[in-house]
Amino acid sequence: MATPILMPRQGQSVESCIIVEWKVKPGDAVKTGDIVASIETDKAVFDVESPIDGTILELFFQEGDDVPVLTHIAAVGNPGEDASDLRPGGGQSPEDGGLKPEVGSQGKSEKLEVESKKLEVKGERSEEGSRHEVGTTSHAASPRARKRAGNEGLDVSALAGTGPGGRVIERDVIAAAVDRGRISPAAKAAAQTGGLRAPSIGSGPGGMVLTADLRATAATAAPKEIPVKGIRKIIAERMKASLTSTAQLTLYRSFNASSIQVYRTKVKKHGELFGIPPVTINDIIVYAAVRTLLRHPDLNAHFLGNKILQYPNVHVGIAVDTPRGLMVPVVHNADQMNLTTLSGSIRPLAKACQEGNIQPDLLSGGTFTITNLGSLGIESFTPVLNAPEVAILGVGGIFLKPVKTAHGVEHVDAMNLSLTIDHQAVDGAPGARFLQDLALTLENIELLLSEDVVK
Amino acid sequence: MKHYDLIVIGGGPAGYVAAERAGERGLSVLLAENRHLGGVCLNEGCIPSKTMLHSAKLFHYATHSAAYGVVADHVTFDFGPVQTRKNGIIQTIRKGVAGLMKKYKVDVIHARASLLKGNQVAVGDEIFSADHVMIAAGSSPAKPPIPGADLPGVVDSTGILETSSKPASLVVIGGGVIGCEFACFFGSIGVPVTVIEMLPEICTAVDAEIAKLLRKELEKKNITFHLGAKVEKITEKEVLLSVGGEQKSVPRDVVLMATGRTPNVADLGLESRGVDFDRRGIRIDDRCATNVPGVWAAGDVTGRVWLAHAASRMGEVIVNNIAGRHDTVRYHAIPGVVYTTPEVATVGLTEDEAKKQGRAVKTAKIPMTINGRYMAEHEEERGIAKVVLDAETRALMGVHMIGAACSEMIFGAASMIEMEVRSDEIADLVFPHPTVSEVMRDAVLAAAH
Repeated sequence: MATPILMPRQGQSVESCIIVEWKVKPGDAVKTGDIVASIETDKAVFDVESPIDGTILELFFQEGDDVPVLTHIAAVGNPGEDASDLRPGGGQSPEDGGLKPEVGSQGKSEKLEVESKKLEVKGERSEEGSRHEVGTTSHAASPRARKRAGNEGLDVSALAGTGPGGRVIERDVIAAAVDRGRISPAAKAAAQTGGLRAPSIGSGPGGMVLTADLRATAATAAPKEIPVKGIRKIIAERMKASLTSTAQLTLYRSFNASSIQVYRTKVKKHGELFGIPPVTINDIIVYAAVRTLLRHPDLNAHFLGNKILQYPNVHVGIAVDTPRGLMVPVVHNADQMNLTTLSGSIRPLAKACQEGNIQPDLLSGGTFTITNLGSLGIESFTPVLNAPEVAILGVGGIFLKPVKTAHGVEHVDAMNLSLTIDHQAVDGAPGARFLQDLALTLENIELLLSEDVVK
Repeated sequence: MKHYDLIVIGGGPAGYVAAERAGERGLSVLLAENRHLGGVCLNEGCIPSKTMLHSAKLFHYATHSAAYGVVADHVTFDFGPVQTRKNGIIQTIRKGVAGLMKKYKVDVIHARASLLKGNQVAVGDEIFSADHVMIAAGSSPAKPPIPGADLPGVVDSTGILETSSKPASLVVIGGGVIGCEFACFFGSIGVPVTVIEMLPEICTAVDAEIAKLLRKELEKKNITFHLGAKVEKITEKEVLLSVGGEQKSVPRDVVLMATGRTPNVADLGLESRGVDFDRRGIRIDDRCATNVPGVWAAGDVTGRVWLAHAASRMGEVIVNNIAGRHDTVRYHAIPGVVYTTPEVATVGLTEDEAKKQGRAVKTAKIPMTINGRYMAEHEEERGIAKVVLDAETRALMGVHMIGAACSEMIFGAASMIEMEVRSDEIADLVFPHPTVSEVMRDAVLAAAH
């Protein structure tokens, strides 16, 4: 009997995943545990395995489709078996769209029928979603249109499509070729062989496109199109939502970094003797911030419109730059950790993010976020709130700051901190007091660390 | 004060063509011309010189056709009918231009015009305003400071058109296109001609090999050339020159100063609007726009290309831009012709220019004497056709010809260059046989191999 392969649920917060790549095609023989697809949540990439030995009967979705969790994405069974009953959408292939008049099948329990209807609804929604996506990405052109555009030296991505969902079809290419006027034989040949693009109007007689125009187009235009999906899409939505739903105010101050520098140097040099693993400047700042937050609960909070939730524990999010975009893994109950433990928790989280295999639940539940661009030479910047959190701390790089001392003006290593707060929940002065406390803590890090020992 | 969409200053090939096109588009246009419609081209340039050159060519054929089996005795050259015919043609064409202005509802005022502040233009005693002003004031023969240049018998290219009798001899100062054409005219009717050129070759704008061949052909017409020569002084009887430090003298009757032209930039009120110009012309961009919005310039007054057809194109480009269609002048494909016998016609890049620009090109040269039609009609003259192809795209880049009829077929090469036609396409085109134009195709195919 044909068996469905389900879109797995990845963590409690994940409602749908994008099929990044099919590893199999219909007709392939698979064994239990063989990878059939890789999928992507808004946070990470996972593999989907075959639940049984058999032959892939049908793939219900295309690469790039966003599919709700627990939806059938493929069917596996004996060769030639009918898998149409397993299709999300009640027996219609995704291409056909729509629902069959009679859904469900005889002999199924009422409960199953209800569940299958639920899936149908979800499945249909996902189809619409995927169709919509096709209509708005660079891939929205028929193969015939692409071929024709290649022959005409036209840039298919620059054309307005009149096909379904704005898809560029051959007719659009023909119309554009007529509208454009002519292209010189030399330019046409160059466009075809050199992969250059022709503008719609050139500098030749009657707007004829000449080879010089092609070069100009190649030099100025021809952008690479990247569909906004997966993590990029999530970042885009969250950042925009953050800026539109909160009242962001950023406060800046610097602190004398010599205390933490001295400590870090000592740990690096002699840490092994005391069983202390190397910690980074960032680890120290995170640690200091977490401890300082315990004295400023108004900043360790979520703003939910009609209420503010202040958290007794600090779940600190650390912004991590990954090949797939910004990710924010969360160290839960960071306030329960000493510096060594905290440092030891941050490292594997960052690594998992880099590798794209972080457990999605570790990417949520933060109460405060820290982002550090200092290592990239940024002295100071304005972090964007990770809403609904009410505060985010930005850490800049070390710079020389002139300080007036008894000996005259001396230069000390200083670092900038920038704290963006949601002014809906927190006012400027409490934010400033937090920064003041944090700076003091960082300038006297040995006192904070001895507090640990005292505990 | 009457307001126009466009006021054109100068009724030459730039001005009247622009006025015509603008009128055609329904713009209100005023054309100010202080002399005759048609400008230098019609009144003292292209048309009268070609009219006279044709008479000289007929005289030459009449006296040099024994090889064709045609022998005529007592052939004379009478300046009377030559001048009458020339003036008649000028009158006819002037009327034609005036008719065009009427047809397109262009107001014409025969008066000097100059820019005033704001959007105003003074034309004669009247003041008008206009959204756009196009300056097409043309050029005048340059007057180099040669001692004796104002003596009687020393004329410029305008004055020599009024020649009413055969001079005993002619000294031409300047071996450019104008100098060569008049040298050819007088040489053809049996006047001993001496051409004095400062540069090492005549007609330096054309392909060096073709310029040399032209000189050799002209030498057959009793024309002597002094190259690399500097004119020191003109006296009542002689022209004194130095060639490589050596002093020479040439006896003279008439002296033609063919030392180039200079843009008419004075008295146009350019300063009042802050238009950028110097003695080399009004500065323009590739749309023929000056630095002042609404002020445009075309033709010789810009000092760019001293050719009537380039001026007309510039005028049309201006009207297109005024009418909202972005258009630019493509200077690389403007053909040039020397109306000597044999004629020279060129367009586009020469082999030397390609080398200087570091462009990879393929070239070929075909002698006209391999062409059936040319052989049938030319016993004496030699001619060649040279083509330049882009080595990479195989597009036609340049065609350079010397030989009869080439002025009439250079447009074909110019349009192929403008449209970037490749040797691939030319190989598929049919050229009529027997015509001299076939050499163009032969040369292209030879270059493509």
